[in-house]
Amino acid sequence: MSMFRLIKALFVITLVLILQLELFSNIRFFGVMPELMLGLAIASGWHGGSSNGALTGFVCGFAVDLYLATPLGLSALSYALIGYLLGVLAEIVAEDVERIVRLIISIAAIVLGLTLFVFFGELIAEPNLYNKNFGKILVVGALYTGLFIPVLHYLMSWVFHGNTYQGSQRPINSSQLT
Amino acid sequence: MALPRRSSGSRFTLAILLLSSITLISLDARGYEPLTNLRKAATAVVQPFRNLASTIFDPIGDAWESLSQGDSLEKENALLRDQLGELLEYRVTTEGAVEELAALRTQLELENLGGQKTVVAEVTAQSVSNFDPYIFEIGKGTQSGIREGMAVISVGGLIGRIEDPGLRSARVRLVTDPNVNIGVLVVGTNQVGILTGNGVGQPLLVADGIPVSADVEKGSILVTSGSERSPYPGGFAVGTILEVLVDEINLEKELVVAPTGQFENLEFVTVVLYQPLNSQNERSN
Repeated sequence: MSMFRLIKALFVITLVLILQLELFSNIRFFGVMPELMLGLAIASGWHGGSSNGALTGFVCGFAVDLYLATPLGLSALSYALIGYLLGVLAEIVAEDVERIVRLIISIAAIVLGLTLFVFFGELIAEPNLYNKNFGKILVVGALYTGLFIPVLHYLMSWVFHGNTYQGSQRPINSSQLT
Repeated sequence: MALPRRSSGSRFTLAILLLSSITLISLDARGYEPLTNLRKAATAVVQPFRNLASTIFDPIGDAWESLSQGDSLEKENALLRDQLGELLEYRVTTEGAVEELAALRTQLELENLGGQKTVVAEVTAQSVSNFDPYIFEIGKGTQSGIREGMAVISVGGLIGRIEDPGLRSARVRLVTDPNVNIGVLVVGTNQVGILTGNGVGQPLLVADGIPVSADVEKGSILVTSGSERSPYPGGFAVGTILEVLVDEINLEKELVVAPTGQFENLEFVTVVLYQPLNSQNERSN
């Protein structure tokens, strides 16, 4: 990742983190807030590829971990994995996939990310993670975050591709056309 | 469809990141001091931006809260009216309990409780996790003398304890958390039990420590026991007994307890700057 992209990525991560902490933690549906940082990890995997996805996911998770009572590194672990997996998935599916398909994949990835977070938390015997609200958090959290997925994709596209974002995921290299 | 081959570089990056995460988790779980300091420093750096964002977004959050909780506020008002009626009805009993509490404080030589140093702190943020609703943040930290484990009270009584205090902020863990245990004393008796949380909006429970022969009654007040190993000073109201159940297997009484402290719509809380003697000794050693 170039220095310019790194600065853009850090700017976007800080912006979304502050929005999640100060705005969306108070705007809850059925007591559930959106997982914007997880959404950012997913979008970075999609636009930046597996390596950048894992790295950005790790940083996003680490930033969230600073404010959670869970051990530092738990979200970083889950988000890095999800960022990587989305990078792999984005390489497999067609580059010009419909936005609705990308949205559905992103929502499914949020569910997977939250499940991984709770699973790893349970492995280290972290209390309060798996509770009776788990199903509600998965469904409402994924759908609520889904509302912001297009914006998050736009932001990460700006980070990794500059102003080439036109709805498709990666700009086509001229050598690929021949 | 031919699958593109991924470079071993991305797998190597992932492996490094996963190992780093696991290392961080294990170090943090052991309370590794540099990591705790890193966490405090990082949150302190972001704090000015959060404060700025807070002034912008708080009105939006408040508007959303009043919109989304309109029905629940009406219900809460109706409930409070009912409770007020009940309280007026049982005023005489309550007055008796207050006298009992005063007598107990005298008995336990806790007259100076009022002289305990306290700090009033603003509630700056609710829980930022979907999975842990038992936490909120306050805008004061170690700079104001706040330390790990200190008791936090609101109107009515104890509501939680300090967790991971930073320089200018701290987290409060609510007593409704099922993993929180508090030693409590039933006012008017010598019965001491262990009170545990039971989830958001649920009554608290005392499932250990009260023998079946104990003379505890519905309506009695529970206060912090202030025992030697307790992190809380004694004599702070925690709840009133709603129901007394008998556990015939363990030959103990289970108490269903309504918390006396206010948990909803908190704007300010009071932190009691009290540290038990044993923790002070540990620090000095």
